[in-house]
Amino acid sequence: MKRHLTAIAAWAAVGAAGAALPAAAADPGPTVRMIQERGSLLCTGHNGSYLGFAEVDDRGNWSGFDIEMCRALATAILGSPDKLQIIPVSWAQRFPALQSGDIDVIIKVTGWTMSRDTELGLQYSLPYFFGPTTIMARTEIGARTPEDLAGGVFCINAGTSIERIVADYMGARGIPYEALNFEKPEELRAALYAGRCDALAGFGPFLAATRFNAPDPEAFTILDAVLALEPEGIAVREGDDGFVDVINWMISALLMAEEYGITRDNVDEVRANPPSASVERLLGVSPGVGERLGLSDDWAYRMIKAVGNYGEIYDRTIGEGSVYRLPRGKNHLWSNGGMLYPLVLD
Amino acid sequence: MARAPAPALPPPPAASGLAWLRRRLFATWFDAIVTVLAGAALVWLLAALIDWAFLDAVWSAEMRERCRETAGACWAVIEARGRLILFGLYPHEAHWRSTLACLIVVATMVLSCLPAFWGMARLAGLWLAGFGGFVLMMHGGLFGLPVVTTEQWGGLSLTVFIFAAVVVLGMPMAVVLALARRARLPVVAGLAALIIDTVRGLPLLTILFAAAVVAPLALPDWAQGDKLGRVIVAFAVFYAAYQAEIIRAGLQSIPPGQEEAALALGMPWRSVVFDILLPQAFRNTLPATINQVVITFKETSIVTIIGFFEVTASASAAIGRGEWGAYYVEVYVFVALIYFVFVFGLSRYGAWLERRMRLIRG
Repeated sequence: MKRHLTAIAAWAAVGAAGAALPAAAADPGPTVRMIQERGSLLCTGHNGSYLGFAEVDDRGNWSGFDIEMCRALATAILGSPDKLQIIPVSWAQRFPALQSGDIDVIIKVTGWTMSRDTELGLQYSLPYFFGPTTIMARTEIGARTPEDLAGGVFCINAGTSIERIVADYMGARGIPYEALNFEKPEELRAALYAGRCDALAGFGPFLAATRFNAPDPEAFTILDAVLALEPEGIAVREGDDGFVDVINWMISALLMAEEYGITRDNVDEVRANPPSASVERLLGVSPGVGERLGLSDDWAYRMIKAVGNYGEIYDRTIGEGSVYRLPRGKNHLWSNGGMLYPLVLD
Repeated sequence: MARAPAPALPPPPAASGLAWLRRRLFATWFDAIVTVLAGAALVWLLAALIDWAFLDAVWSAEMRERCRETAGACWAVIEARGRLILFGLYPHEAHWRSTLACLIVVATMVLSCLPAFWGMARLAGLWLAGFGGFVLMMHGGLFGLPVVTTEQWGGLSLTVFIFAAVVVLGMPMAVVLALARRARLPVVAGLAALIIDTVRGLPLLTILFAAAVVAPLALPDWAQGDKLGRVIVAFAVFYAAYQAEIIRAGLQSIPPGQEEAALALGMPWRSVVFDILLPQAFRNTLPATINQVVITFKETSIVTIIGFFEVTASASAAIGRGEWGAYYVEVYVFVALIYFVFVFGLSRYGAWLERRMRLIRG
């Protein structure tokens, strides 16, 4: 009953905003309307835990980078991070589950590929994470770049794209290396810990977890070099432009908050004394950010209040504040040497 | 020519332990060497296992830093993540409901295994009460229990529920399919054969995936039901296809004269089937049936691929987190023990049932 009331209230608010500003009012699209009617966002989990991105804690609660993105989206649309239902789905299940309506959105380290974009009928948001294939070396070697590892032994997961990526990268630069292939991640880890290889190549978060679990984590260093990069986007059903807009501006608002130094802790202060017109607009002090998307004007404020800015989310889940301590690398803002940038809020 | 009976031999001497050892293990030099070598290997293995599992093991989650150094098992992971493995995503404060629901299903299964409950009405009543109790406990919504949707169900209670529901739904379907396949009406027999062969021709994974993911695309909203329900029904059909062939084998093992005699005496068909054919068919195929049931229990872990948090998925959730990723062996051993307890129980029950039936027959 309460849920219905809040849904009705949300509708009334949306309606009132639309009536007051008919020129600016936007239709948020069928998916957002459905989410508002339902009063909860159905977002992807995992059938198990996926290192740093979708994990289950000791009490059975979801956490992780992708889960925080789901919470951010739920707050943007519904005003509260708790109006979220995480639906556990396997890798294979995520696309059909989206099409059948079991979930509203896929936030599940899902790379933006052409076949998915065209043949599977998906529409992607801007990338919210760049998944790096990188190298972790033994600290005692003192390597800082892949060139320093010339002639070394690389442990690689056999039969994955990593094998090809390493061969391409090293081949193009003429760096000799010896590959030691293993079928299973467990074998790979055991070989690394036993000192059978000088370096391990793989997906960044996997390397970070491997380092964390080493008998001596300090014995391994993750290099800055990126061998390959997979842009991970948020995927929705094709043909719902309003929803894609909401998601892109959600990502953008998280990045903008980081750029302006707005955090979970200081958002109230900044909102009371906005330093610039852009921040005023972002936090809903002056109207603009909300009704053009069909949302309330304070959605970005509420979202930052609930989950923090992009940097805070990263640090908490996979970065320095987590057990993985994965370097930001390409996932820094452009101003810090990364590839992430907010759109222009005018 | 009459032969004299052979003279009676003295009874063999009572075998002392030592004599038994000499005869069985140290009869020749070669035997002795093999025995010593195998014995040494066994002792070495056992010692290593005990070292790993007990002596060098880290038991408490507070000591988890020691897990890095020790060569033994890190049981700390079970202390920290055990509840996750047993309950999956079920809300923490409501774990007692999941426990109770699990006990209800186990009790229902144990009771339906007892001959005292073998009767149409009794079994139906028991199952209605048992499964009703389970759903009430797990789902809530009545008596002030907060609602917990099936997406949050998980762990052992989900595994046991899926298993029990599949067998309970699948067994009657199997009987119907088996009887239909033997029917004299060609259409009925052909249809049953077609269903059985089609379902058997498809992998379980495909069937479950279609039920969970594809069905909502094809079915109208009102016919979709709950995802868990669809999966259980699909799994039950799969089980029924195999079980039907087992029952058919049992029916074929009964001499046709029995059925003919019963019909000649004017017994109604229902009575022929339920009092003569089926009891014997089940008895004759008990080992194969128990086999199929055990396989079904283990196959419940496949539902993890469609996003259900049964025990195996919960276990992978338990180790898919940075801190605990290295201790997968301990978690898998724990899960293996859970499966072993259930499967071993089923096997012992099967053995007991066979002994009991032999007594009745004898």
